[in-house]
Amino acid sequence: MNWTKLIFYLFLLAVIVMGVFFYRWVFANMLLAVVFSYILDPFVSWFERRRFPRWFSVLAVYVIIGGVIAWFTMRFIPDLVQQGNYLFSMFTSGEKISGQYIVNLPFFNGVFRFIQDLDTKIPNLDLAPRVLVFLDNTNTFLAAIPKLLIDNYQNILSTISLIATIPLLSFFLLKDKYKLRKAALEFSTNRYFEVCMILLRKIDATVGTYLRAMLFEVIVVGVMASTALTFVGVPNPVLIGATAGVANIIPYFGPFMGGALAALSVLISGGSVATVIYAIIAMYLVQVLDNNIIYPLVVGGTISMHPLIVLCTVIAGGWYGGIIWMLVSVPLVYIVYSLTRVLYINLKDFEII
Amino acid sequence: MFELHIAWLKTLLHKSDKFAYLKRYSIFKELSSFELYLLNNYFHARSFKAGEMLFDKNYPLEVIYFVEKGEISVTGNAHPSGHSTVKKHQILGLLDMFHENIRSSSAIALGDLETIAISRHDLTDVIRQNPRMGIKILTGICHFYSNYIFTICKPVE
Repeated sequence: MNWTKLIFYLFLLAVIVMGVFFYRWVFANMLLAVVFSYILDPFVSWFERRRFPRWFSVLAVYVIIGGVIAWFTMRFIPDLVQQGNYLFSMFTSGEKISGQYIVNLPFFNGVFRFIQDLDTKIPNLDLAPRVLVFLDNTNTFLAAIPKLLIDNYQNILSTISLIATIPLLSFFLLKDKYKLRKAALEFSTNRYFEVCMILLRKIDATVGTYLRAMLFEVIVVGVMASTALTFVGVPNPVLIGATAGVANIIPYFGPFMGGALAALSVLISGGSVATVIYAIIAMYLVQVLDNNIIYPLVVGGTISMHPLIVLCTVIAGGWYGGIIWMLVSVPLVYIVYSLTRVLYINLKDFEII
Repeated sequence: MFELHIAWLKTLLHKSDKFAYLKRYSIFKELSSFELYLLNNYFHARSFKAGEMLFDKNYPLEVIYFVEKGEISVTGNAHPSGHSTVKKHQILGLLDMFHENIRSSSAIALGDLETIAISRHDLTDVIRQNPRMGIKILTGICHFYSNYIFTICKPVE
């Protein structure tokens, strides 16, 4: 046994473990920066091909994105804040949305009367008082949200600082993209070199294309849903449209969330059942456009995952890390699955396994 | 006298072309400094020891090798005698690039070998994304094939 080699590998392992431990706090930032870089890379490369230095290309893209965000902020954020505040105040003002208030709304009133009828027909059921208590409890929980935000201000601030570091990390990832690729491939031995090249290309293709397609789809669905809901007369259309756009990341089930939110918003604000039906039809039309035109055009095909696997993934993601993981779990599983498949096929083809 | 000073100043300001080494390969000889810079981003240096296999027949085709130093022994059906040697500043894998997705031959380093390698997909992406540059590379590849065909036809004459 070559002891020098063994000691060196043990030393290397110790260094890696210490490195992982020391840098563990920035993994999340780095991961988000990588996602950000993948989305921006084609735009940076476009500038680079027009003879701009790469660092300048990254800055130019940042300036353009900054401009778009500034315009978006000035144009839409006041609406979003206003609509968010409206919903928030509805939930937090205990007197306004008590259980009694909700059951007096047109649609809920019909349901509540049905429950009261059941109570009279079935002895000792007492469902109506329980519904009122449930609605009151829900309202109490929602009313506690502002306190929750104040109590967790440190977490909120750290999240904001996390978001602020992402463009900085992405700048270096984008500027030194080729150097980083070369450095990563230098670690591979000649036997694995071509497999690593194929994997890197596949990562670029799958992750990059998928992330850009997702972002584009979120924006388009958000804009279409906001417009459609505005036409139908649903309250808070921008907020619901934006939420529907983000929820659309989850295949099969995401679109239902947007529709449900639109229907709920109409019912809570005391709208008619007809408006609810119009809102659902509007959201359905948005989905038809998305599924048949936008998604095939942008991604070139749907995610080939069985609905059952998608459902299990969403549930598991929800249990693991709440709503954020519900959103990212399906793309993550899809990417890991496709990369593992490519790795397996190529390791076989190169007669490594 | 003034012109001489200008010429001298120009020599001071002139930056040596960092990526001119790529022009030693016939398919890149028409590229400008900027185009060579773009192309260089996709190249990876690889070294092989004497007797080390670069690839075997029927392996998936991903990489094209450009020989910087040393020689490679190639065995396969694409060569009339069933065997050939790829020498310094020659290219390995270009024939297969437009044929199939698998290697038609096996390649082994004859001595210590230094190469630069590019993914064939990266090369085709560069051609597609930069049409002017792409035309120059494709013209170079046409010259390469023309020379290859005439070289293998010579013994027949």
